[in-house]
Amino acid sequence: MTSDHDVIIVGAGLAGGILAGVLAEGGRRVLLLERGRSLAYSEIPGDHLRNHRLTLYGDHTTPDPAGHPRVFIDGAGVPHTVLPHDARYQLNAFTVGGGARVWGMQAWRFHPDDFRMATRYGVADGSSLADWPIGYADLAPFYERAEHEIGVAGDHAGTTHAPRARDFPLPPVPRSPSAEWLARGADHLGWRTFTPPLAVNTRPYLGRGACIQCAQCIGFACPTDAKNGSHNTLLPRALASGRCTLVTRAHASRVLTDGSGQAIGVEYFAPTTTDSATLERRTARARTIIVSSGAIESARLLLLSASPLQPHGLGNHSDHLGRHVQGHAYPIAYGLLPPDVESSLLGPGVSVATTQFNHGNPGIIGGAMLANDFVKLPLIFWRQSLPPDTPRWGLANKRAMRDLFRRGIDVRGPVQEIPSPDSRVTLDPAVRDTFGLPVARLSGTTHPETVRTAEFMRARAEEWLRASGAERVWSWPAEKKFSAGQHQAGTCRMSADPRDGVTDPFGRVHGHDHLFVCDGSLHVTNGGFNPALTIMALAFRTAEHLLASP
Amino acid sequence: MSLTPSQLTALRSLLDRIIPADDFPGALAAGTDTYVLRHLLGDGSLGTNVLLLGFSQLDAESVARHGPHQTFATLLPTQQDALLADLAAARPMTPWPPPLAAAPWFHRLVELAHEGFYADPANGGNRDAASWGMLGYAPRTTPERAAP
Repeated sequence: MTSDHDVIIVGAGLAGGILAGVLAEGGRRVLLLERGRSLAYSEIPGDHLRNHRLTLYGDHTTPDPAGHPRVFIDGAGVPHTVLPHDARYQLNAFTVGGGARVWGMQAWRFHPDDFRMATRYGVADGSSLADWPIGYADLAPFYERAEHEIGVAGDHAGTTHAPRARDFPLPPVPRSPSAEWLARGADHLGWRTFTPPLAVNTRPYLGRGACIQCAQCIGFACPTDAKNGSHNTLLPRALASGRCTLVTRAHASRVLTDGSGQAIGVEYFAPTTTDSATLERRTARARTIIVSSGAIESARLLLLSASPLQPHGLGNHSDHLGRHVQGHAYPIAYGLLPPDVESSLLGPGVSVATTQFNHGNPGIIGGAMLANDFVKLPLIFWRQSLPPDTPRWGLANKRAMRDLFRRGIDVRGPVQEIPSPDSRVTLDPAVRDTFGLPVARLSGTTHPETVRTAEFMRARAEEWLRASGAERVWSWPAEKKFSAGQHQAGTCRMSADPRDGVTDPFGRVHGHDHLFVCDGSLHVTNGGFNPALTIMALAFRTAEHLLASP
Repeated sequence: MSLTPSQLTALRSLLDRIIPADDFPGALAAGTDTYVLRHLLGDGSLGTNVLLLGFSQLDAESVARHGPHQTFATLLPTQQDALLADLAAARPMTPWPPPLAAAPWFHRLVELAHEGFYADPANGGNRDAASWGMLGYAPRTTPERAAP
């Protein structure tokens, strides 16, 4: 059988763009399918009501939101059909580049112990905590490669939670006065802080300009294209090679398998011509298929691809597919800067962090990195950051906004979640998308140990603000909830033994010779850090593995 | 769908108390009423149609407290604030037609007003970036060279 492509990649997000770049430059003919469009900066406006930090009435990256609902099962077991702007949908950006088009750019390596959580902490009752089948040393060279080929700005000497062989290619982001104030507060506590790694051009790099420190950063596209992802690095390299075909507005509906159960192609819906509103059903064949659609949609596509030989979905031989959904519990402590310390309103904003509490907390499983937050929008400040006793309307509210907007500060961190097998993605039996396909059904909730860790970290975040001299400090207790969101992970966990997961340690679906998963789905655990750099490192590693395979 | 003249008057008086003018422009000077109206009228869903009835109910609450013809717009600011505090605390003096209820209605209008007032001017409720000027906020996204 002949085919126009060697590899089909489903999803042009952070991982998909890296896979395409490495494989196309390595001589493979790549078909890259992306359900969204390639959006110019001007197509993602500075809309404070519709962005990826506040999707009150939608966002500007999701194509045909009404055509692609999901079903959310609440704590009482009641199903709700939800659209993308609803928090229960667990939206990530559906566009070329994926979430990285509008992200906050934190580009962390996981801690070495994040890969061996079960060994370090044991397996709590009701959890599916497990070690990764690979360790930090396996990923380290690929972390380094991602830092250099995507472009990460950081403090090499200060970033000590994971061994580093080589400096960052870009100097760290500048510290704001309030971050310096937090760093002094941490000194009082004996906590070590440093400037966290961000995938941003702090100076011109790879042919693009530097960040201008605008005040409309996270949730928005970057006005100087200094916000780094695969969309402005590896994907252009893929296209320049002449060996990558990118098809946008292409919705994969099924991985095709042959009589022996092996993956041979992808069925998808795509426009009849580039700008046509009419979509047609197509099939494409290739030797290698890589599913890279995010933890929810990757699991859904494998479930939708059930075959006579694998009636419960591809890779679901041991009932792990779609389970162990993780994101990050995110404790936040809010406070007010003393009047003599002014917050700068300079982006990106995150410029001080500590990894003091990622591990080794007595009686607690795991922990989290803590950092200050991004530059805030006025409306988000009004909704989230006023002291809890502030009247919500009238002159008192307006005065509080005026007095406190530049004095608000918060410290927050992504808590390493303890996975639960009951937190899962399945196919909804009733609700269909615009193509008539069952939509993702999201059910389950946080493991109690995650809540305990989140509460521990909330106390540390408050402690940090108090030690720094915040005039007031407040926070809200952690709650159990279905957790996925922009950090979604875990639904196709890798494992050495096919009985323990969906894919092998390179992302190859167990029992399949040429079918791979490559995105946060592979994460056995999701670290106490923003997960994007790990997703990128895995993409480089899987791509190199494929190039080295006969 | 449209508002009656008296509903529109009540809406504007309400917004003037939710975000009053002081040394800096309030909701009305910033055009937040335009944003709220566009939201209420532009979305033909049941939820927003029901919200429109609340402006008539606001006048009914005023009359119930202060006598015939004493619509909300005719009250003193202190009287208006006291009435709104009652609504916020779910202490209406008149029966609100289900599914409308005093406190959720008022809280929704508080949300809508602040959305318009503090969002970007292109959304229509923050004319000349009036609220941003008060806060010292500006996106400052103008690059030295255009992004692709």
